[in-house]
Amino acid sequence: MKSRDVFSFSFGAVRLRKMRAGLTILGIVIGIAAIVALTSITTGLQVTITSELGAGFSSDTVTVSTQSFRMFGGGTSDFTLLVNDTDTINEIEGVQTSAAIMSKSVMLDFGSTELPLSVTGVEYTAYASIYSSFVAEEGSIPETPVNNSVVIGSRVTDPWDNGTVIAEVGDTILISWTHRVGLEMVEENYTAEVVAILEEIGGFSMGPNDLGLYIPLSTAQSFFDTDEVNSIAVQLVSDDEELIETVSQAIEDAFDGLVTVTSPTALLETMSSVFDIISLFLIGIAGISLLVAGIGIMNIMIVSLMERTREIGILKALGMKSRTVLGIFLTEALVVGLVGAVVGVVTGYSIAMIFAAFSGGLLGGMPGRESSGGPSSSLMTITPILTMDIILGAMAFGVLVAVIFALYPAWRASKLNPVDALRYE
Amino acid sequence: MTTVLEVEDITKTYMMGEIPVNALRGLSFEVESGEYIAVVGPSGSGKSTLLNMIGALDRPTSGKLMIEGVDVSTLSDNQLADTRKNVGFVFQFFNLIPRLDARGNVDLPLAIAGVPRSERKKRTEEVLTSVGLEDRMHHKSSELSGGERQRVAVARAIVTNPAFILMDEPTGNLDSKTGGEIMDLVKQLNEKQGVTLIVVTHDQYIGQQADRTLHMLDGVIASDVVN
Ligand SMILES: Nc1ncnc2c1ncn2[C@@H]1O[C@H](COP(=O)(O)OP(=O)(O)O)[C@@H](O)[C@H]1O
Ligand SMILES: [Mg+2]
Repeated sequence: MKSRDVFSFSFGAVRLRKMRAGLTILGIVIGIAAIVALTSITTGLQVTITSELGAGFSSDTVTVSTQSFRMFGGGTSDFTLLVNDTDTINEIEGVQTSAAIMSKSVMLDFGSTELPLSVTGVEYTAYASIYSSFVAEEGSIPETPVNNSVVIGSRVTDPWDNGTVIAEVGDTILISWTHRVGLEMVEENYTAEVVAILEEIGGFSMGPNDLGLYIPLSTAQSFFDTDEVNSIAVQLVSDDEELIETVSQAIEDAFDGLVTVTSPTALLETMSSVFDIISLFLIGIAGISLLVAGIGIMNIMIVSLMERTREIGILKALGMKSRTVLGIFLTEALVVGLVGAVVGVVTGYSIAMIFAAFSGGLLGGMPGRESSGGPSSSLMTITPILTMDIILGAMAFGVLVAVIFALYPAWRASKLNPVDALRYE
Repeated sequence: MTTVLEVEDITKTYMMGEIPVNALRGLSFEVESGEYIAVVGPSGSGKSTLLNMIGALDRPTSGKLMIEGVDVSTLSDNQLADTRKNVGFVFQFFNLIPRLDARGNVDLPLAIAGVPRSERKKRTEEVLTSVGLEDRMHHKSSELSGGERQRVAVARAIVTNPAFILMDEPTGNLDSKTGGEIMDLVKQLNEKQGVTLIVVTHDQYIGQQADRTLHMLDGVIASDVVN
């Protein structure tokens, strides 16, 4: 029997039992759709996060801090980093430059409402040389520290994204900082002139962000009356992994192991391995649903085998060989698997797109909530990514599951003795 | 006349669990090309079993069964399947495939034999016309009467031009008029084209039409009479 005839015979058998075939296909569709949706969302998310993180910090930069930067938790020590620790760091072989970063939570006061933000004291030039995203869109970043100057992130001008512009270059803004003196809370005010607005940065970053306020480090030292800094960003002479390794070690040694040096590459690696685990886990769950679909196929084929015993007897009496009977049953599974896989891929991708649109709207909508006070630090959009690998992999998996679970019933059908099959009532 | 079938002392024992059932208990006969043989006998005497052996649906337990000079009991499953392509079967309950129309059913043996589509279309139409179903080609078996269904079955049996046509109670489910028409059709094939016909039947009419009658009783041939 020619394969074209085998195919049309099988196709006819599938089409006859539309309801049954539909339900079997549905099982495959659900499994494949789940896999495709989850994979394309996690891939999209991973790409978004890694690229935004990648843009946020240069690969030749490490961050020195007193707290261990881990995904889950991390302790602090009593040890503090000071402004002039950069001198120690700058002497280490392989270090290009370093910038101390002092961050505090403040209120941005503009009459009717207050906006909680964080203000960061940095040396503009060193900071800009480390983070290429620290560039002015409007105005200019002064090269030498200018007292009472502030550089603001692009979204500080219009934090709710609704046209209420609160600060432009040349405006003065009032930053108020509340801290404890003895038992009392003291509010201190700092009036600063906006000298520059940064270009839009977007996403996460270890460096500047769109909602940041940047004042000269010396100003921050006197305003906050401290020499303690949160972290020191260190730029190395190259992004060679070995160099990052040795310099990180040298920095830790210089501070007797009391600091933690985080390299962006290591962070990216940690994040992507976490993502790999998450997506593997999700795909595992989706895989189980596909397995269930496979068992459904097997079950339905065994039932249909009993119903079609006589048909198999007829085919064999007409001279059909066992392997052709096997071929017919496997082709039926193939048709079911293929249709299920194709519909599953389309459905899965649609689900991913709907999810992305929904979650994008959700995340994008958040800063608009005035009641929640502050705008979210950044807006993140996920674009599901459907690669050819995902498509082909999912289809192959769907078809494979269908065919594998059909093997046993098909084999049983092919082994039927024609005399017994024809006697079957 | 050439001998197309030689049956030599064949037996067939089925196992019903532990209990052996001796359906055939040693029977021998020969069939010449172009003969029309009626096989009669009480129910359970082994007529269908014998027909299944002749049609290469099954192998005998012992003895020799030569179809056109080839011993069936030595054949592999695949060779047995190929032998069936040279046999046309007609069953009491028609055994058509319900989802296929008349043409699809008649087309099936040709498709199984790997005949190209272009030839098949012409051949199926020709055969369906010869059994008087030219205007029923696209009817499913559920849309056909019993007589029409059996005509489709006959068309399916003859479409490959087999050496034998084996019929197991072909008129058992038809009224005598319709049954007579079917048998007249088959008789014509036998006379005009020299097709060898072996028909298991309870039907008196067939008994009279046939050249020779085999009486079976308890798995043996009780008498072998030339009419
Ligand atoms: N596949 C089978 N398995 C077990 N017993 C069978 C089988 N086929 C036939 N028999 C038994 O063999 C005997 C002959 O059956 P059969 O050839 O169908 O008789 P007939 O067609 O003359 O009525 C019966 O007793 C029947 O029950
Ligand atoms: Mg019988």
